[in-house]
Amino acid sequence: MKREYQTFVRQFKDFKEGKMKLYIKDLSPGPRKYDTKQVLAEIFSNPGKNFDGDILRIRSESGILLPQLWGIKILEELPESVSGKPWEDVFKAIKNHKMEKR
Amino acid sequence: MAFQDHRDFIETLKKSGDLVELTKEVDWDCEVGAIGRRMYEMGGPSIWFKKVKDYPEEYTIYNGSQGTWRRVAISMGLPPETPVREIYRVYEERLEKPIDPVIVDKKKAPCKENILLGDQIDLYRFPAPMIHEGDGGRYIGTWDLVVTKDPETGWTNWGMYRFMIHNKRWMAGWPQSTSQLAHQMRKYYLPRNAPMPVALVIGADPIAHMVATAPIRLGEDEAKFTGALRKEPIELVKCETCDLLVPAHSEIVIEGEIPTDQIVPDGPFGEYPGYRSGTMAEGVGCRVKAITFRNNPILTMIALGVPIDDSSIAASLSAGIAMKLGLKHRGIPVEDVYVPPEGVTHLIYVSVKKGGTQVTKDVLDYFTARRVMVSKVIVLDEDVDIFDNGQVLHAFATKCHPGRGIVVEHYEGRANSLTPFYSPKERERLKGASVAFDSTWPPEWPPEIVPVKASFKTIYSKEIQEKVIQNWKSYGLK
Repeated sequence: MKREYQTFVRQFKDFKEGKMKLYIKDLSPGPRKYDTKQVLAEIFSNPGKNFDGDILRIRSESGILLPQLWGIKILEELPESVSGKPWEDVFKAIKNHKMEKR
Repeated sequence: MAFQDHRDFIETLKKSGDLVELTKEVDWDCEVGAIGRRMYEMGGPSIWFKKVKDYPEEYTIYNGSQGTWRRVAISMGLPPETPVREIYRVYEERLEKPIDPVIVDKKKAPCKENILLGDQIDLYRFPAPMIHEGDGGRYIGTWDLVVTKDPETGWTNWGMYRFMIHNKRWMAGWPQSTSQLAHQMRKYYLPRNAPMPVALVIGADPIAHMVATAPIRLGEDEAKFTGALRKEPIELVKCETCDLLVPAHSEIVIEGEIPTDQIVPDGPFGEYPGYRSGTMAEGVGCRVKAITFRNNPILTMIALGVPIDDSSIAASLSAGIAMKLGLKHRGIPVEDVYVPPEGVTHLIYVSVKKGGTQVTKDVLDYFTARRVMVSKVIVLDEDVDIFDNGQVLHAFATKCHPGRGIVVEHYEGRANSLTPFYSPKERERLKGASVAFDSTWPPEWPPEIVPVKASFKTIYSKEIQEKVIQNWKSYGLK
C-alpha cells in the first residue's frame, strides 16, 4: 500500500524532479495525520502505474492543490528543524544548508 | 462578577441561547472547521464539539466564543442586546482603571491538573483541528494568547498569534515580523542567541483573549487591562519550565521556547483578512518543553475567515479603542473611531471635531508611523454616526473630493504582509501604501456656504420636527 505525503511550494513552477531536501506531511489517516518531517528524497513528476515509491501531493503558498500527483522515494529522514533565524525563509534556509554541507 | 474561566462563560452562553452542543461525532480534519465557518456566515451561535473523531470524549473543541456582538457583550458582563456604540464606550471607560493581576499558587491553578514533561510531551494528545482544507497544518493555537517577556524590563506581552503542530514536540508559528513578540525577540533574545521562553495559552477567561488582540503600547502588560475590563484581577500562575505567568484557569498551556538558530515551516493558513494568501514558511519554530491542562480540556478555536467572526469583532473593539486613544495622544481632535468588522481592521472610520486636509494627513501619519495594519481610513465630521455604515457611505460618497480629498502614504519595512492585495515581492519587503479619504467639509469654508444635509434632523427647525413627531399618529401614520 502506497503512503501519501503532501508538500508546499511557493509556486508550482519552482518544483522540479530530482533529489532534494524538503518538508513533507504524512497524510496517513489517524490522530497523527499531517505530522511533518524533513527528508532527503527523490522526486518524480510523472510516476507511472508501476512506480514503486509513494505518492506526493503538492500545494502552493495559497494552499491550492496541484491536480497532478507526483511520486516520492524517501532516502533519508533529516532533523526536524533547519538552521535559520526566526522569520527567515525556510525554503532558502534548506538551500543554504545544502550549500554549507558541500 | 467576571467570568473565572471559559467554562463559566460557556455555561452562561448555554442559558442565553448563544451556544449549541454538538454531540454527533465530527472529524477534526476539516469538518469541525467547516461547521464553524458556516455557522459564522449564518450569524449563528458558538459551537461546543463534544465528540471528536480519533479522540476520547473528555477532549472537546469550542469554536466562536466571541463571534457576535451579543457574545462580546455577555463576556463583558453586559446585557446581550447592548448596542455596539455602548460596548465601545464601556470598554474605553473600563480601560482607564487597570487592575494588577494576582499570582496564585500552583495548587489553586486548575491548568495544573495535568502536567506533561519530557518524553510525555505529545501535541497529538489534543484534537487540534485542520481548520481549512489546504492549510499548512493543524492549528492548535488560533483563539489563543501567547505570553512572552522582555527580561530586562520585565514587560510581559500577550498576543494572539497562530501556531500549528509541526510534530509531537514542535510547533510552527507566525507572529508577524512586525509584532510585539518580534520586537522582544530582536531586542533581547537574538543579540544574545538565547531561546525565547513562550507560553501558548488556550481557553483562558474570554476577556483575556480579546485583550490579546489589542494593539496595546510596547511596555504595557495586557494582564492589567484584562483586570480592568473584568473589573477584578485575573489570576496568574507560574509556568513549569520558565518564569512566565499564565492565566491560572486556562484550559491548556503549552510551554516552550523559540530558538534563535532553528526554524520549521509554518502555514499557509486562512487568515483574518478573509483569505489564505502567501504567508508561509517565514515564521518561528517552538520547541515544546511542557504541557499543562485541566481535566476534560476544552480546546478553543476560531474557524478564521471572512467576517464576521471572533477575530473581526474582537479586533474591532480592542483596536478601535486603542486607535482612538492613540489619535488623542497625538493631539488629533478625534471624536470617535469605529473599526467595522467587515473591514477586518484594514478599513477604519475616524470622526473628528474639526476636519480638513491637514487633519486627514495627521490621522494617516498616526496609522503609518510604526507597523501598519490599516490600509484605508475614512475621516468624517462629528455629525456622522460612524457606527452606522449607511451614514459613513453617504458622507464618503458625497464629501470626499476625488482630486484633493485623497491622501496616500507609501512605506517599506512595516506593511501588513497579510493584506491580500500586496504582491509576493511587496510582502517580502513589507512594502505598502495606505490611503485616507477626507470626507469632512473644508474648515476654511465659511459656514454659510457649507451644504446643509437634507435629513429630517438637519434641514428642519426644531419646531417643525416637534410638530411632525407630535402629530405623527394623527396623520394616520405608524
